[in-house]
Amino acid sequence: MSAAGGGPTITLDGVSRWFGNVVAVNEISFELSAGVTGLLGPNGAGKSTLLHMLSGFLEPSAGSVTVLGGSPWCNPALYRHVGLVPEREAVYGHLTGYEFVLLSARLQGLADPRGAARRAIEEVDLGAAATRTTGGYSKGMKQRIKVAAALVHDPTVLLLDEPFNGADPRQRLHMTELFQRLATEGRTILFSSHILEEVERLAERVLVIVAGRLAASGDFREIRRLMTDAPHTFVLRTSDDRRLAAALVAHESVVGVEVGNELLTVRTSQLGAFARAAPVIARDAAVSIHELRPTDESLEGVFSYLVNR
Amino acid sequence: MSEPASASSIYDLGYRHYDGPRTGRWGTIATLYTGSVRSAFGLGRRTSSKIIPFTLAVLAFVPALIQVGIGAITSGLDADVEIFEHEDYFGYVQIVLVLFCAAVAPELAGRDQRNRMLSLYFSRALARSDYALARFAALTSVMLVLTLGPQAVLFVGNGMAADDLSGYIADRWDLVLPILGGSALVSAMIASVGLVIASYIPRRAYATAVIVGAFVVTLTIATILMETLDTEYAQYALLVSPAVWDGVVFFLFRVEAPSGNVIADASFSGWIYLAAGLITVAVALGLTIHRFERIQV
Amino acid sequence: MTGIILRLTLRQMLGRGRTILIGLLALLPVLVALVYRLGSQDTEQQEWAATVLLDGFVVTTLLPLAALVYGTAALGVEIEDGTAVYLLSKPILRRRIVLAKITASWMVTTATVLSSGLVAGAIALYDKPKAGILLGFGVGILLGGLVYSALFVMLSVVTSRALIAGLIYVFIWEGLVNGLFAGTRLLSVRHYTLGVADWFVDLPPSAFDAALDPATALVLMVVFGAAATWYADRRLQRFEIGETT
Repeated sequence: MSAAGGGPTITLDGVSRWFGNVVAVNEISFELSAGVTGLLGPNGAGKSTLLHMLSGFLEPSAGSVTVLGGSPWCNPALYRHVGLVPEREAVYGHLTGYEFVLLSARLQGLADPRGAARRAIEEVDLGAAATRTTGGYSKGMKQRIKVAAALVHDPTVLLLDEPFNGADPRQRLHMTELFQRLATEGRTILFSSHILEEVERLAERVLVIVAGRLAASGDFREIRRLMTDAPHTFVLRTSDDRRLAAALVAHESVVGVEVGNELLTVRTSQLGAFARAAPVIARDAAVSIHELRPTDESLEGVFSYLVNR
Repeated sequence: MSEPASASSIYDLGYRHYDGPRTGRWGTIATLYTGSVRSAFGLGRRTSSKIIPFTLAVLAFVPALIQVGIGAITSGLDADVEIFEHEDYFGYVQIVLVLFCAAVAPELAGRDQRNRMLSLYFSRALARSDYALARFAALTSVMLVLTLGPQAVLFVGNGMAADDLSGYIADRWDLVLPILGGSALVSAMIASVGLVIASYIPRRAYATAVIVGAFVVTLTIATILMETLDTEYAQYALLVSPAVWDGVVFFLFRVEAPSGNVIADASFSGWIYLAAGLITVAVALGLTIHRFERIQV
Repeated sequence: MTGIILRLTLRQMLGRGRTILIGLLALLPVLVALVYRLGSQDTEQQEWAATVLLDGFVVTTLLPLAALVYGTAALGVEIEDGTAVYLLSKPILRRRIVLAKITASWMVTTATVLSSGLVAGAIALYDKPKAGILLGFGVGILLGGLVYSALFVMLSVVTSRALIAGLIYVFIWEGLVNGLFAGTRLLSVRHYTLGVADWFVDLPPSAFDAALDPATALVLMVVFGAAATWYADRRLQRFEIGETT
């Protein structure tokens, strides 16, 4: 199910939110369609505030929020197509996992709540524990039952606030696969996190929020390429590090070299030019390059650059 | 640590060990005391947490302020208008005192248990009983603001309305000790009961409800029993109810209980009420200390 | 839909601590009535039952306290621990949620207070003509419980300190202020309850008298209750999860 006309499912236009003197979200605009997007930012950057506005639990102080063609504020009917996984850990402790998801299904007005609940529980792989009361669940299990409750009505949009909090690696892997599958079915998934590995692995796009402002959006590798004032770093294993180093330093695209014990580290400010020039320089210097790889093209590098700007 | 004997230095900005004087146990207790008094009125927190304590505190002063207002208006006249007497005052503001204690005691004794702060407190130069006693002292002091404060306003207000202030004081000198004693005892009684309930019931809503219930329900039941049953038996219900405050106050002011009052028909001498009050404080305080000595952090 | 929420709320509300607290409180009128019958030589049982027991204790203390504890728990607990989100992020009109919560609170409050009051009243009036006392106070408690529930559910949506705010309302407004300023009784659920009871109670004014006449009391009940419900709905529609702390 995609939005009618194939337009974006979520649109933010100049959205701001302040609490007294504190501006939590500062003129953020973006559009999201089907796929997985990660909302990334340091603590206190405004991720939760943004998610609350998207889920209709906070009114924007300025700007407009549009989800599936309507504003989520004061609009409960929208929840038919939106699933929300809140951050707070508490669930209805006296209900069993199955009853909790069943409750969600019933409140959504589904025609076959029991079947939907069972399917949702299978999706998150909690079939074994579904008969225990959620009060006794571990943190990761509580996360998963919340996800099940949010999926039970087959929503078009899924909003998750720190879904990987407390999940062990196996559960994280499982959920990552689940979200990827849901995204390929045409759903729009937005999740916030500060666990970079997960965002890197799962999100096709990232939205980086720093101090309430949108610092960057898009594929994080492309963002990296846009960060032209931060030199790229490459690591090389060659047959003669020092000779190649001397030859590389002469090239205009190279900002610095460092000859290490086993590796040669090269910093360059012009990615494209360096990529073209390096093999030529190596051939002219009669040095073989066994390995050349970028070292800071990780989300972590991008992230710390954006945060510290 | 800077490099000696050179013009340039690198400064170590890392963690510093404190080697200076430490205030020790009494300093810690004093800090806990002041902190408790401040948090009781919501000082140091956002405005919304000040509303309830301040509203209730102001309400406790209202009769005294009314009296002062009337006194100001009639001061030129010959009449000596005294609507609110010192010894009756606590009866009027009784519910305000109870509500204040019910609102504040859980913050002092329950909040640390909920937030698991106790381990922090008990790993300081502070005995567990010190913690309990400091909280008790703070709550009693705070209640004193609501008991002694209005009484003082009433006394001074009456004095200023009278034509001759110094004469007034000389005349009513014998009121000062009962005012002080009565306020102190009533404060201690309310504070100790509120604190022991709050320390055993960390959840704020429950503690508040039980504190209010403990005072209101005991008084209502005692009143009903006094009216319906043979007073010889019913009067014992008074000793575990807030009626004890009236007993102690009337005793200290050396007046008879007015005929409408619930203790009017009881045959206890003032000393019994005093003993009952002191025993209540001692038992409640003891239980509070026991609770904090025993609690697992 | 409302039924589901109702059942869920009932399950949550009847938690151990709450039930014990209100249960003990509800026993008291019965005990007092027993003591009265066994011990007292009073001949004015009807007056006693109406004025002292039912008015003075059950309606003045037990009813509002029970409604307060259950009314603030109905929605307040979920708002406080964050589980309200699960209820609010569903395609359900907020007013249905409010109505379900009020109904749940009303059901439990009335069940407790009504049984306590009627049993205690029956004991006190054992072999005496009832003079409509039990009927009057029964109806009063039934309706008063509803209005109290609406009021306290509304308070729990508006503030996080609903319990103490409700206590201030019950003891200071309905206790002190209504006692001192007769005009304020027009805004007091307790006096609505007594007014409605007065319609059925067939006693001379010296024995039992309510400040408001039954018609006024009933109309004001409806207005007050509707206003509280409407406001609770409006505030819940605009429910926000703000800064944590």
